[in-house]
Amino acid sequence: MPYYTKSEDWLKQSSLLIEARPATTKVTTTYTVKPPRKEDSEDDEKTKPTTTTTTTPKKSYGHLILKTYDPASGTCLKYRTSKAAEVSRLIQMLGTLGKKMAGVPEEDIKDEVMADAPPAAAAVAVEAAAGSGASTPAPGASASAPAPGGGGGGGKGKKKKGKR
Amino acid sequence: MTPLTHEEFFAKLGELILSGKNDPLFEIFLTQKRYTYGSELPKPSEENPFPETSLEKPLPILIHATDGLFKEERPQRTKLSTLVQPDQLDGFYSRYAEVCKGSMAALKPRDRRTKKAKARKKKGGAGQTSMTAIP
Repeated sequence: MPYYTKSEDWLKQSSLLIEARPATTKVTTTYTVKPPRKEDSEDDEKTKPTTTTTTTPKKSYGHLILKTYDPASGTCLKYRTSKAAEVSRLIQMLGTLGKKMAGVPEEDIKDEVMADAPPAAAAVAVEAAAGSGASTPAPGASASAPAPGGGGGGGKGKKKKGKR
Repeated sequence: MTPLTHEEFFAKLGELILSGKNDPLFEIFLTQKRYTYGSELPKPSEENPFPETSLEKPLPILIHATDGLFKEERPQRTKLSTLVQPDQLDGFYSRYAEVCKGSMAALKPRDRRTKKAKARKKKGGAGQTSMTAIP
């Protein structure tokens, strides 16, 4: 069974499924301490020989699988992650799906979604600000650089950066 | 199996997830579905072929949690369940997220080192481009 690579895609498809069959669909979250099985891993890992298990002393992490299954139509949608940072976001997604399952009117769900949106936008804004902050001192630095003599100054700067 | 109150459910769920911290085969299954028991829906008709999609009143959600024990051990399986009323959904899920985040320790933590390295790289890159852009 293939997995969605983005949790947003999983959420979208799952909510469509729940809208269509709210009474029979169930959402299962599986938390496993051991890492995902080899055959479940991504394709590029499949091509590698299985000897990697013995040679890698790397710490293994558990994983979380979200599954939406409707026994009436046989539809099964899955998403898998091993990142702890995603857990609370995924549970909030379960909450959105739970609202659809309960049959809470659409407007309430939309309000919830809108409430979530501003932090994301704010994060983007902050990132953009950080980006501009990083780039604004740079022109000043470069403006002072031509004074001692164009190419030489530039070369020096480059070398320093390379060493780092 | 009688449904637990939310307080009991979260307390026991936290314990249950943490109990498998050192067991490499440990698994836990959390499910959620609509609780339809005792609710009467109108029969599907020409005008309303899917009565379950347009409810007059929202229904509660049933939450189950079990540990993934193998067949022989199945009688000792821990089963927890709780009912969430539609108006309690928001509060329930924020508690739920907290409990899960706090107890699912086997997941990969956020890697701060690589993030720092990336940020430094980005900064260096920006400086370089401005240098080369002048001549």
